[in-house]
Amino acid sequence: MAKILVVDDSSTVRDEVAGFLRNHGLDVATANDGKDGLAKLKATPGVRLVISDVNMPNMDGLTMVEKIRGELGNASVNVVMLTTESSPAMKERGKAAGVKGWIVKPFKGDAVIEAFKKLAG
Amino acid sequence: MTEGKPVSKVLVLDDSPAHVEAIKRFCDDHNLIGLKVRRNRLLNVLRSNIDLGAILLAEDYGGSVEESAIVATQIDALRPELPIILRRSSEPSSDGLPDALARAACATYVADDMTPLRRMIDEYIFSLDYPNALVRGIAEITEARLDALFPGMTVRCETPCIVRDQIIFGEVFSLIALESAWCRGYMLLQTSEQSMLNLIGEMEPDGAPPDFRELNGMLGELTNLVWGAFKNRYLGDAEALARHPVQVPLIVNHKQKTISFGGEYPQLCFKYWVTNPESGKSVCVDQRFVFSLSWSPADFTESEQDVGTMVESGELELF
Repeated sequence: MAKILVVDDSSTVRDEVAGFLRNHGLDVATANDGKDGLAKLKATPGVRLVISDVNMPNMDGLTMVEKIRGELGNASVNVVMLTTESSPAMKERGKAAGVKGWIVKPFKGDAVIEAFKKLAG
Repeated sequence: MTEGKPVSKVLVLDDSPAHVEAIKRFCDDHNLIGLKVRRNRLLNVLRSNIDLGAILLAEDYGGSVEESAIVATQIDALRPELPIILRRSSEPSSDGLPDALARAACATYVADDMTPLRRMIDEYIFSLDYPNALVRGIAEITEARLDALFPGMTVRCETPCIVRDQIIFGEVFSLIALESAWCRGYMLLQTSEQSMLNLIGEMEPDGAPPDFRELNGMLGELTNLVWGAFKNRYLGDAEALARHPVQVPLIVNHKQKTISFGGEYPQLCFKYWVTNPESGKSVCVDQRFVFSLSWSPADFTESEQDVGTMVESGELELF
């Protein structure tokens, strides 16, 4: 059962991040946007860590996190944003929604893998 | 040439060696690159991606003013967005010119006095003043993201240039809106499908051959990375931006390979060459900035973060 959910509208990013995590022995599922992310999270109760982009069509990443906490009532899943956004206002919104961490792209797997393993339990 | 400032290419159509030499000196002094072409290849060249800013045409090109008028009419029909600046023998105005030539030429000057030519170059080519920090920053941002997406490849950026033509480069392009308090417009990233597929394939020689969907994903992500960094560094007051929600439709004509942003705007153009040092194969990524919706370089700002709170990209910042 997948423990990590990677949410990004870019197939290039999904393949890169999910591939890297799988090479480190982690179980990973992916989603195309915020709406898909919510649906996949509902369908995969074992997920412990969500890694998500912010700017996505259909539903952006921060709205997805707010709905994870609100509509899904899931306060325990750890969420890390992986995004081009770095504005303080965006990060504050993330913090308020219960986001655990923030990474500004590009993704550098070696710098974050140990932290990801901890967050995924 | 002024180091670091964008240049522009001008097509020089002049049969007089003495005047061509004078124009060459003028180009060297004014950040222009003069290009020459044989008469029988002119129209083919104008249909290709040579990124022109203007045409410098002699009144007697081709041997007579009538012949020059024919050439001007052909150019104007094919590439109406390119300004034609006419060198006259003695009369600095358009008086006495055949109607066709007077209509096609946007300005005239005489060889004895190049001062008006300088003014015309500023008006028709370098009409927007691009802050040096912006030009340097764009190249820096984009080269870094190309490096990240194409590990092991070398990345080189040509001198930026100002372009007036509207010809699409390659077969694939991304288009994204740029929004800030001091400028609004678009960024395009254009490339050739096969060259890019070849390079992606060489990066993963043991994998299945890539198809256009992977290329689309790669180009989309490159666009996202560059756009995000541009926004972070140059974004102004978000509330000021909310007061200007104007958008205009963008027209792409695949048959004619042209794109229009609603008017004839100059494009700030950068070309990046990504090369596989092992095979020597390269792909060109053509990047354009068209600030067609709003431009006020006097309000240009660049965001600087406090050293204490700066987190490197790729590093996890825990809350």
